[in-house]
Amino acid sequence: MSSNWAAEAAAVFAKDWRCELRTRHAVATLALFAVTTLVVASLVLGPVGNEPARAAQIVPVLVWLILLFAAASGLPRAFVHEEESRTAIALRLAGRPSAVFAGKLAHVVTLVAALEAIVAPLAVVLFDLRVADGFAFAAALGAGGLAIAAATTLLPAIVAQGRGASTLFAVIALPVLLPALALAVAASRAALVGIAGGDELTLLLLYDGAVVVAGFLLFPAIWNP
Amino acid sequence: MAAVIWAAFHWAPLAAGFKGESSRILFFHVPMAWVSFVAFMTAGVQSARYLFGSRTPQDAQLDRSAAAAVEIGLVFATLATVTGAIWARIMWGSYWNWDPRQSGIVVVLLYYAAYEALRQAIADEEVRARLSAAYGVLGLVVSPFLYFVLPRLGFSLHPEPVINAQGKMEVEARMLTVLLASSSGFTVLFYWMHSLRCRLGAIAARRLEEEN
Repeated sequence: MSSNWAAEAAAVFAKDWRCELRTRHAVATLALFAVTTLVVASLVLGPVGNEPARAAQIVPVLVWLILLFAAASGLPRAFVHEEESRTAIALRLAGRPSAVFAGKLAHVVTLVAALEAIVAPLAVVLFDLRVADGFAFAAALGAGGLAIAAATTLLPAIVAQGRGASTLFAVIALPVLLPALALAVAASRAALVGIAGGDELTLLLLYDGAVVVAGFLLFPAIWNP
Repeated sequence: MAAVIWAAFHWAPLAAGFKGESSRILFFHVPMAWVSFVAFMTAGVQSARYLFGSRTPQDAQLDRSAAAAVEIGLVFATLATVTGAIWARIMWGSYWNWDPRQSGIVVVLLYYAAYEALRQAIADEEVRARLSAAYGVLGLVVSPFLYFVLPRLGFSLHPEPVINAQGKMEVEARMLTVLLASSSGFTVLFYWMHSLRCRLGAIAARRLEEEN
């Protein structure tokens, strides 16, 4: 079962990336949205990096809000589109629910990582940031990104079957993501100024683990009508 | 409950360090917060039973039970927030201070208000029950972070919970008696309201069935 399962998950992952590369929806909207907001914020704030304490207060909040809204505005489309174009039925026949979830999750994780790879260096340059602990900063980005990805894979599957999916997504996803976001901001802030933020990072990883496990447990029930 | 109300105002002593009679609100505020927690956990457990239990005709009852628990939990969480804000106004000078514990309960309120929004958005009864049950179970996973982790981020002015991190009880015996009696009273009140709401839901469902 395991090789079949992996093949199914890999097929879903490959299919999602192929669709993505054909339409370039994420590249066109998510990345541009993130870059535009970041540029506007840096225009208004200026080189806050000159005052490290102030930068550590403001910039992590901005970066995580931009990542959250970029993810929330574009990523749920994947499932909603599957339901609208009636391809969800084919997908239900083609793979086991857990394999579909794993494939979708892997796709969203890579998308969020790509988004972060654009946003984080750009934020460092535009705000003239001095990151005291680069490794901890990257770890915070990774763990926070996984939280956003896990929630934006599981919850769209729920809202896709209801009315007014995109508005509903924002309503049900924000309370789920809020603790992760607060932890991610705290962990990035600690990394920027170079104080130990191990507690926040551990809690964030715990959150990631809990939501991913919950995703694998709940997805079969959500997915199969 | 009547005895608890009388005791809260006349029998229990005032807590040291609290302004005037303000500590008396504790006997209502703490049980309300506790009942909201019990209600949301009940909703989570009933949702899990709905999702992972074997399919039986009683399934609709589990769904109604989870929904009723969330409804009552929302009422108690709102009351806990309001009584907390009144107390904060007296002690800290303003109704809202963005204290981590205040923020925590607001996010819990938002989460379960979203549960209600989700139920409203789905017309089909079976789909609604299944999806809201999944969201209810996710609440079991997320709410420990909202109740226990979020309040730890940043400095809090909120008094230590009755049973604090060191596992010590720092409450005078008479106050503790009233507090425990009040908490049990409120818990029983919750289960009574919950059973009424479930029965009402069952009657409404039966009527709807007869009409169709």
